[in-house]
Amino acid sequence: MTATESDRPALPPAPRELHRGLDLGADPDVAAATGLAPAHPTVPDAASEPASPRATRISEGAVLGGVCTGLARHLGWPLMVVRIGFVGLALAQFAGVIAYGALWLLLPPETGERAPGLESAGRAGMRDVSRPRRRADWGMLTALVALGTGLLWIVQTSGLGLRPQIFWPVALACAGAALVWRQADTSQQKQWRAEAGGRAWLVPFVARGGWPAMVRVIVGLGLVGTAFGIVIAQQDQIAQLREVMAMATLALAGLAVVLAPYLYRSRTALNEARSAKVRADARADMAAHLHDSVLQTLALIQRQAEDPKAVQQLARRQERELRGWLYGEELVETTLKVALTAAAAEVEDERGVPVELVMVGDTDMSDASKALVRAAREAMVNAAKHSGADKIDVYAEITDDLVEVFVRDRGAGFDPSSVAEDRMGVAGSIMDRMTRHGGTATVRSQPGEGTEVRLEITR
Amino acid sequence: MTEPTPAAPRTEQGPHRVVVVDDHAMFRTGVKAEIGRSVAVVGEAADAETAIKVVLATRPDVVLLDVHLPGGGGIEVLRKVHELNPDQKFLALSVSDAAEDVIGVIRGGARGYVTKSINGVELIDAIRRVAEGDAVFSPRLAGFVLDAFSGAIDLAAVDEDLDRLSAREREVLRLIARGYAYKEVARELFISIKTVETHVSSVLRKLQLSNRHQLTRWATDRRLV
Repeated sequence: MTATESDRPALPPAPRELHRGLDLGADPDVAAATGLAPAHPTVPDAASEPASPRATRISEGAVLGGVCTGLARHLGWPLMVVRIGFVGLALAQFAGVIAYGALWLLLPPETGERAPGLESAGRAGMRDVSRPRRRADWGMLTALVALGTGLLWIVQTSGLGLRPQIFWPVALACAGAALVWRQADTSQQKQWRAEAGGRAWLVPFVARGGWPAMVRVIVGLGLVGTAFGIVIAQQDQIAQLREVMAMATLALAGLAVVLAPYLYRSRTALNEARSAKVRADARADMAAHLHDSVLQTLALIQRQAEDPKAVQQLARRQERELRGWLYGEELVETTLKVALTAAAAEVEDERGVPVELVMVGDTDMSDASKALVRAAREAMVNAAKHSGADKIDVYAEITDDLVEVFVRDRGAGFDPSSVAEDRMGVAGSIMDRMTRHGGTATVRSQPGEGTEVRLEITR
Repeated sequence: MTEPTPAAPRTEQGPHRVVVVDDHAMFRTGVKAEIGRSVAVVGEAADAETAIKVVLATRPDVVLLDVHLPGGGGIEVLRKVHELNPDQKFLALSVSDAAEDVIGVIRGGARGYVTKSINGVELIDAIRRVAEGDAVFSPRLAGFVLDAFSGAIDLAAVDEDLDRLSAREREVLRLIARGYAYKEVARELFISIKTVETHVSSVLRKLQLSNRHQLTRWATDRRLV
C-alpha cells in the first residue's frame, strides 16, 4: 500500500493514526504485533481468538442447560440427534446424565459479543434486541418423553438395568439435583448473588425468584431427601452397615455435585470480571484511536475543502474504516471474503473510486481462489482506471462447485471487436491467469454501456 | 405487489409526500435538501415515539425510516404504525449494513432498504418506487437474501411456496446484486420492468412471510461462523 501512496499527488499524506488503521487491514501480522483490536473488518483477529471456536452453552432454545443446543451447533449435528443421544446414554447406567452435568459445568455460557456500534445501539434502545420466542414443540417433546420412559421401562424389566432399590433413589436424586441446578443457571443469577450477599450457595434459597423458583427448589430438595429416605428405609438392618456407609458416602458425593455449580460459578464470575476489565480497557483504547482518526480526517477535509475529489476520497475511506469497525462482522480466518474485501478496499484507496462488494457464501483460500482474487483485483483496477465510472460493483457468489465473481462498471465501455492494445493486454492477462487455474474470464462491454468482467473457477 | 395500489394516481396530483425519521438532525437536513425539490417533506421525527405520532397524523406516501432509532429502533415504528395503518409504506435507511438489522427491518414490514450513502437521484427513485407499491432492493440486500435463501435447506420445513426462490427470482436478485438497475435487469432477461418489479415484490413477500426458521436464525448464526 505504501508503494501506491506516491501515485496520489492529489492527496496529502494520510494522518498517522488513520494510516496505521488502514495498514492493519492489509497486514494481519502488524495487527497481531501491536495487539490492537481489529480496526477493519478484514483483520484476522488471530491474536485474541483461538483458531477453532469453543463450544458454548446456548440458553436460547434450551430445555435444560443449553448443552445439547450448544453441542449441536458446535458439531454441526441436528439438535434432535444430540438430545436423543444424551437420553440414550442416560439409559446406560446414567452415563448421559453424568456427561450432561459435566458439560453443563464445563461449557461456558455463550457470550453475545457484537460489533460495538450494534451493542451500543442495542443498549440505547435504538434497535430491536428481543429474541424470537421459542416455539414449544410439545408433540415432539411428548413423543420423546414417552419413548424415553418406554425404553427405560424395557431396560428395567429386562433385568439389564439397575435394581429397583437403587434405581428409584438414583432417579429421584437426579431429578432433584436437576431442578436445583436449573435454578442456579438463570440469567438473573448475578442479581441474585448480590442479594444473597455474595454467598453464592445461598442464592436459590434466599433470592427472590417468584413462586416457581421456590417451588422448584423445595420440590428438588424434597426429591433428593426422598431418595435418601428410600435408601435408608431399605437398609434398616445393622448387618448391612457397610452398605449404609457406602450410601452415605454417595449421598455426600451427591451433595457435593449439587453444590459444585455454585462454587464453580463464583470462580468463573471472578475470572469474567477480570477479563471484562481487560476488554473494557481495550475498547477504551480503540475508542481513543477512532476519535483520533476521525478527528484527523475532519481536519484534513477542512483543509482540502477546495478539492471535492480529495474530500470525497477522504470521507469515503474514513467511512469504510469506521463502518467496518462499528458494524462489521469479525472475519477471523483467511477466506475468500477476507481477501476480496481487502482487494476492493485497496483499489478504492488507490484509485479513489468506491467499490461496492456483495458476497454470497464464502470459502477457504486455495491457489485457484488466490488467482481469482488477483484477477478480480486487476479487473477492478482496470475499471477504476479506464471506465470513468463513479462506482464499481463487485459481486461474488460461491456455490457448492463454482466460484463466480462479477466486476461491473457503468462507465465508458468499449467495443470488444476493436480493442485498444492496453485494454487487450489487461484483459488478456486476466484471462491467462484464470485459464492457468482452470477457470474462465469473459469480458462484456459496449461503448457507453459500461463493462462487466465475469470470472469463474471450479472449486 | 400484484394488486393495484390506490396510491398510483397520486403522481399526477403532485409530488410524493414523505416523512423523514432519523435521530441525526444533520442527516435529516441533508436529505431534505437533496430530495426537497422532487418530493414534499411533510414531517420529520428524531425518535420512535414522535415518528409514530407524526406518521399516523400525516399519513405520507413514504416514510424514510432509520434502522437505529431511540425508543426501540425502526422496527418499533413499523410495528406500531402498521397496527393502526397497515398500508403505510416504509423505506428503510441505514448506515450499519449489518445483516440482522437489514433483514430484521424488512421482515418488520419495510418495502425496501437502501444505505445512507445513496445519492439524491437514486433516493428519489427509490421513494417513487416504494410509493408506487414496489420493493426497493440494494445490491447488498439482494446479496443477503440470496445468502439467506441458499445453503442447506431443512427439507422437512420447506413450505414450497414461501421458502424457496424461483429460478427467475434468483436470476433477478443476482443481477441486482451485481449492481444492475431494474431497467438493466429487464433488458438483460428480455422481460419488462413491470415483470422485474413483480419478481422483486414477490421476493419481498417471501422474505416477510416465510416461516423458515433458518431465515431468522441466519443473521445471528453467520456471525458465529
